[in-house]
Amino acid sequence: MLGTPQYTRDRCITGIHGLDEITRGGIPYGATVLVGGTCGSGKTTLTMEFLVHGAQMGEACAYFAATEPSVKLLENIRQYTFFDMEMVDKGLINVFDMDVVYSWLGLTKATFDRDDINSLVKAITDIVNTIGVTRLVIDSVTTLCYKIPNDQLIRDFLFTLGKTLATQGCTSFLVAEITSAGAKAHWSSFGVEEAILDGIMVLGDIDRMGHLLRYLQVVKMRGTDHSRAKYAIELTPMGVMMTPMLKWGVDSD
Amino acid sequence: MIELDQRIAEQLTEITLNSSMQVRCGSSNAFLVTASMIEPLINEFQMGGVYISASRPAPELIGTFTEIGIPVDSIQFVDCVSSALLGGTENPYNNISYVDSPIMLESILLRTLFHLKQMPTEQNFVILDSVNALAIYNEERMLAEYLHTFINTFRARDVLSAVVTVPDQTPPSVLSNLDLYCTDLIDRGQVVIS
Repeated sequence: MLGTPQYTRDRCITGIHGLDEITRGGIPYGATVLVGGTCGSGKTTLTMEFLVHGAQMGEACAYFAATEPSVKLLENIRQYTFFDMEMVDKGLINVFDMDVVYSWLGLTKATFDRDDINSLVKAITDIVNTIGVTRLVIDSVTTLCYKIPNDQLIRDFLFTLGKTLATQGCTSFLVAEITSAGAKAHWSSFGVEEAILDGIMVLGDIDRMGHLLRYLQVVKMRGTDHSRAKYAIELTPMGVMMTPMLKWGVDSD
Repeated sequence: MIELDQRIAEQLTEITLNSSMQVRCGSSNAFLVTASMIEPLINEFQMGGVYISASRPAPELIGTFTEIGIPVDSIQFVDCVSSALLGGTENPYNNISYVDSPIMLESILLRTLFHLKQMPTEQNFVILDSVNALAIYNEERMLAEYLHTFINTFRARDVLSAVVTVPDQTPPSVLSNLDLYCTDLIDRGQVVIS
């Protein structure tokens, strides 16, 4: 986009060092953003920090843990100084184990049909409404979608979920596990998520002479101009920090 | 006892906080020059800062600085050397953080910014020791790009930056870029042995 737009959408300030600059002021309110990344690229830290900054501003936040038990997640995240367990105790950050949610709903089958998916979307929406959640993370949507047998149902699930959350004014990060983050790779796990969702952020590693350097790239963000460059990231005790990646240090795979 | 170069202390009194100094030294006087720069910054100007050690392991530097009476409590070291030495990171100092390799240039910058955020001192410095050590690992164009980013990042934050270089061991294009980006020069590159 060139020049100043006539109209700018309200933004959800992530509070993550550099990310609000990359998105020219934050993520548009109510956007559903896919956070795709390879293992160890910093997806969980980044998304949890997103919630912490929301909680610090008094927002109610929800984290749906599908890849690891919440106890383990919280133990790991406590090493960061940006995280305060009191936020969980005070109900500002609400962590839900997806296994427990499945049990509530009686979803004990290996694969979900359309009714199961509808009840899952309804359960998540009910939680959002009841608590007044304005920031939500599902970590990971890949694990969740493994239970959905075909692409059409995955597409429907994500579309309905995204639409419902947007209606509630909830800005959401859906974490996706990908095996490769290069230019020739898919940004998502199933290849259907990227077209439906409002934004795509990719986290990956660049191999620089045998050393892995983490990076973040905002590939797509509807409703805002944004940088599409790669940014080197570092997971510090204070949270994620980023700086533009050196142009001569980026491999062009 | 080492005799510090008082002319460097005098030169520092004329430098503003958003300056970027190119510090040229020879391979035999590198420590004397850096020590002569740090001593007044700490003792006279009560500054704190980050010392990026790519030439020597930080524990060795801490030991030598302490020996000559330079307090290191207000300096955070970013050590780019010790991780490459097995057992190199085992030491009693808690003001050292380690970067895996001098090739992780962006990590060095981010670690430095992280430490600066935590500095209790109002006025801070960053010392990069040294460009020629980084040149061993990094390609010339990337190093020139990095120094451009590095210097401008700290100037924008009102952090005094000092980039140490041994001119005859630094790629000419990198050196000429330093001449362009840096606002001040401390030149101790010529050592005359009489």
